[in-house]
Amino acid sequence: MTRLVIGLGHPFRCDDAAGLEVANRVQTATTHQNMTGSYELMDLWEGADDVIIVDATHSNSPAGTIHRFDPRTRPLPTGTFASTHAIGVAETLELARRLDRLPPKLAVYGIEAGSFATGTDLTPEVVAAIETVAKEIDNA
Amino acid sequence: MSTDREIAVDYLARVEGEGAMYLKLRGDEVLDLQFKIFEPPRFFEAFLRGRKFWEVPDITARICGICPIAYQTSSCNAMEHASDVELGDQLKALRRMIYCGEWIESHGLHVFFLHAPDFLGYQSAIDMAADHPDAVQMGLRLKKVGNTLMTLLGGREIHPINIKVGGFYRVPSKAELQALVPELEWALGAAIETTQFAAGLDFPDFERDYEFVAMRHPDEYAVAEGRIISNRGLDIAVEEWPDHFEESHVEWSNALHARVKERGSYHVGPLARYSLNSDQLTPLAKKAAADAGLGPTCANPFKSIVVRAVELVFACEEVLRLIDQYEQPEEPFLEVAPHGKTGHGASEAPRGLLYHRYSVDDDGLITDAQIVPPTSQNQLSIEEDLRTYVVGRAQLPDDDLQWQLEQAIRNYDPCISCATHFLDLTVERE
Repeated sequence: MTRLVIGLGHPFRCDDAAGLEVANRVQTATTHQNMTGSYELMDLWEGADDVIIVDATHSNSPAGTIHRFDPRTRPLPTGTFASTHAIGVAETLELARRLDRLPPKLAVYGIEAGSFATGTDLTPEVVAAIETVAKEIDNA
Repeated sequence: MSTDREIAVDYLARVEGEGAMYLKLRGDEVLDLQFKIFEPPRFFEAFLRGRKFWEVPDITARICGICPIAYQTSSCNAMEHASDVELGDQLKALRRMIYCGEWIESHGLHVFFLHAPDFLGYQSAIDMAADHPDAVQMGLRLKKVGNTLMTLLGGREIHPINIKVGGFYRVPSKAELQALVPELEWALGAAIETTQFAAGLDFPDFERDYEFVAMRHPDEYAVAEGRIISNRGLDIAVEEWPDHFEESHVEWSNALHARVKERGSYHVGPLARYSLNSDQLTPLAKKAAADAGLGPTCANPFKSIVVRAVELVFACEEVLRLIDQYEQPEEPFLEVAPHGKTGHGASEAPRGLLYHRYSVDDDGLITDAQIVPPTSQNQLSIEEDLRTYVVGRAQLPDDDLQWQLEQAIRNYDPCISCATHFLDLTVERE
């Protein structure tokens, strides 16, 4: 079984890097870091049969809240923001579903961010969540 | 008695950036029509002042994630023009190759993801994917071919980092380019299929007598260099742009409206390029155009999707030819020194003519910059299309009319993010 962890985010937008940080910490799977989380996700997971995507979320929950989604069961919730140059993670998963390109096993973790400001500082609650998610993936 | 009717689209979908449309009708009469660009101004021209001349390709690449090569090429062309430096054949070929990569990526995205859903009655490509999976898969793979080419030549696909004033930081080996040939050959076949797909769509019976403006090169379908010509007799060097065009601000748009001095609106982009230069297309692109029913010119903006597909064929065929003839240049770049000079540069962005002008002081610092993106130049033409299109169609139900008018805007593949980099702020005091 080929396992792949895809960490999404921007390294210079504080907690937006949460997904990248999880990918840095995971020991037991191939990891990939990606900044856009768009169409190319389908190419990234091609050939992997157990895929875990980790991204920062913005849902008005307390910083560090861990959201767990099973996109094979139901679509991810979508927000109001969408890049005009690409589609987001939720839209990419819906496109992949319609094209029959979802991996056989797929999980999505969202880590609620405290700040998307410019910089590399992480909120302490987000650091704790990053470590929790990385351990959960390694122990699964 | 006719009642006034308003159609307002507060947020246009499937365009790059933030824009809106407002239309006020009384019966068949258009009382008011505005193609609004409310994306905030981005001030690129202002913050380029004081930067080193060699920073322009990296800074202006950030104007657009879809067409960074266009910004990099026009800005490099301007600095090279100021320095009176002309690149050698192979460096020019590399610039043309990466530019074709951008056309493949951008046109692939627009044809399948932004424009086709209009013709097939879907809100988005995601909705379209369930019924037309093969078309969407083909679009994704074509876009990827373009991105792969940009990554090899540019270092990465979005905002490439390998473009340098005077050439490149690193040039690829012939073997690296040849490795792309099989996928490009697939792309060429897919582009021909794309043209057939586009030609099979239903098009409104609508043409306008545009002033088409595009670059023309003596020997090839113009992409990265050439003179600026039009079908109204314009034939000028790039540095003459300011003598023949002017920009002005209207209150409903954060992007300047451009016009031909004394004549008014004009049209840039695939339709203009095709109508002025179709005689110079590559053989398979010419055949694809003929098979799609296109004549030597095309004045139906809805058929821009067919022309983009023809340009996809051209771009793939041209890159394959350039790779075949490629010989790795000994030096990746030429020295360029625009100190104390002003330079003008232009190129054919996927959405049309992109003009840059820079003045550089004796220390190599930029003192003045002007960037005129294609969407700014097309704004007037878009508004005139909408005004004309409504005539005879005002009786359509609001939903249908709105759908068709939005489609008419997307004919231009407007890149609103590119267009809003400038705000001229004047404070008057008494």
